[in-house]
Amino acid sequence: MSIKGSNKILFPLVGVGIVLLSFLSLLIGDIATDAMDVFNSVFHYSENNLSELVIREIRIPRVCIALIAGAALSVAGMLMQTLFQNPLAGPYVLGINSGASLLVALGILSGSVFLSSEIGLIGSALLGAFIFGIFILFTASFLRNQIGLLLFGVMLGSFVSAIITILELSSEAESLKSFAMWSMGSLNGVTIEQLPIICIAFILGSVASLFLVNPLNILVLGEEECRLMGYNVKRLRLMIVFITALYTGLITAFCGPVAFVGLAIPNLTRMLFKTQDHKLLLFANLMFGALFLLGCDILIQVMSAWVLIPINALTSLIGAPFVIYILIRKIR
Amino acid sequence: MIALKNTDIGFDTALFSIEEINFSKGNVHVLLGKNGVGKSALLSTISGLIAPARGKLTLEGKLLSGYSFKYLAKKIAYVRSNVQEVPFLTVDAFLLLGRYHYKTFLGGHSGEDYDLIKQAKDLFGISHLAEKFTNELSSGELHLCAIAKAYVQQTDYILLDEPTSHLDYANKRKVYELLGKMAKEHNKGIIISTHDLDLAFKFSFNFYLIDTQSKTLKSVKTFKEVEKEFI
Repeated sequence: MSIKGSNKILFPLVGVGIVLLSFLSLLIGDIATDAMDVFNSVFHYSENNLSELVIREIRIPRVCIALIAGAALSVAGMLMQTLFQNPLAGPYVLGINSGASLLVALGILSGSVFLSSEIGLIGSALLGAFIFGIFILFTASFLRNQIGLLLFGVMLGSFVSAIITILELSSEAESLKSFAMWSMGSLNGVTIEQLPIICIAFILGSVASLFLVNPLNILVLGEEECRLMGYNVKRLRLMIVFITALYTGLITAFCGPVAFVGLAIPNLTRMLFKTQDHKLLLFANLMFGALFLLGCDILIQVMSAWVLIPINALTSLIGAPFVIYILIRKIR
Repeated sequence: MIALKNTDIGFDTALFSIEEINFSKGNVHVLLGKNGVGKSALLSTISGLIAPARGKLTLEGKLLSGYSFKYLAKKIAYVRSNVQEVPFLTVDAFLLLGRYHYKTFLGGHSGEDYDLIKQAKDLFGISHLAEKFTNELSSGELHLCAIAKAYVQQTDYILLDEPTSHLDYANKRKVYELLGKMAKEHNKGIIISTHDLDLAFKFSFNFYLIDTQSKTLKSVKTFKEVEKEFI
């Protein structure tokens, strides 16, 4: 399972890229800041300094959530693709996001105070993602056809968005507005107080994924092979759906739906490293996913002087052509 | 020894029944029968993938269902008739997957693992394919690799479902010879299903026929005995 020497250099490069872009991202924005403000906002923070306040309360949470969301969604995509042996699978295409969106919509649009609260929102998103994950898993057990399963995911998405439209029409202006804001997707919604809980959930999911690398390596040969090598496939499937739902639910709750990251990045990493070694792919997805979404966010910041782009729109603009490229490559 | 007694075999419903049969170590056992009579079902049952529809299946005197999956992976290897080709999976990496029953969490592979892989590649003549991705192989090459992976697994028993159907004549011969050698020299119990009647009967293997008339598995000695089933 060795990788070609020339590609190993990508890891330190991406690492350096993440550090540099994070720092850049802390510096740019409407309010001018310099390196000293960044340093102070972390180590000598004073609320009275506007630059330090902006960096600590707005930019640090945004950089962190961009890194975490990119990493988490990419790993979720990798897990789905290996589980369903389908390079075009991903939490978004399979409709796991839709599950989170549906329950969040029900919560917010019902006007319930509890369900619109932070805890209610996270709870709904996690539960919705998990229920839809199990649903997809169940469907996959008799819908063996790769394309069929993807179509099923897309149908699930259409079905849910139809329900959401109906809900929207019959709900009050106030809750409608807050749902519309949420569904556009944004990395600005996270506060510094929420970061620890997001980080803990993210680390839990990543460690759990690390425990699955051995069976995942066998799973590329099929579920029977995995079982024949002594792994409990039922438990493995549940673990994968659980981690995917945790990641997708968490990110969807805080940032809204973010499309294509989970589909494009795992394909990109497999193509770059030309391997099926999931230990390597896991780290590659964590790093490339983080770098990609951070890059997207910086692009949005830079463009914001001329045009406002929601994060979900930008990832789709970049991700969709890439996925079409993969499709064409596959057919040829 | 793998023993079946008063066992019905089938995926959902029973396809045929076995009164009593023992698959011993040190021999190659060949299952013969028409398409769809249940050869794959029998192999899948012995591998533990599916349960017998009725009756008893034991490994070394204990019920097969009583063993853990991990233990079974160390005792029985199963080469299925359809081998999955995977992009970006090299033949070397594919063969290493045959050692995962001994791999610890995050632990690397041992020198023994790499030695076994080298042996397997030499034995099956696939060394030149080592760096190729499995989706770049012909189906014959892929099957040779899958058989080599079962060798790497170092189990007491190897089950092979029509392992030679994709191979050219020379490779068919080679595989039968190797299987015979592995059974005799390494005391392995090898059970295969095949349609290569002419070739298989040239070897001193044990033969069994799944008879479509009586829906039973019976032991056969000569080509004559199976002839009328296929004509």
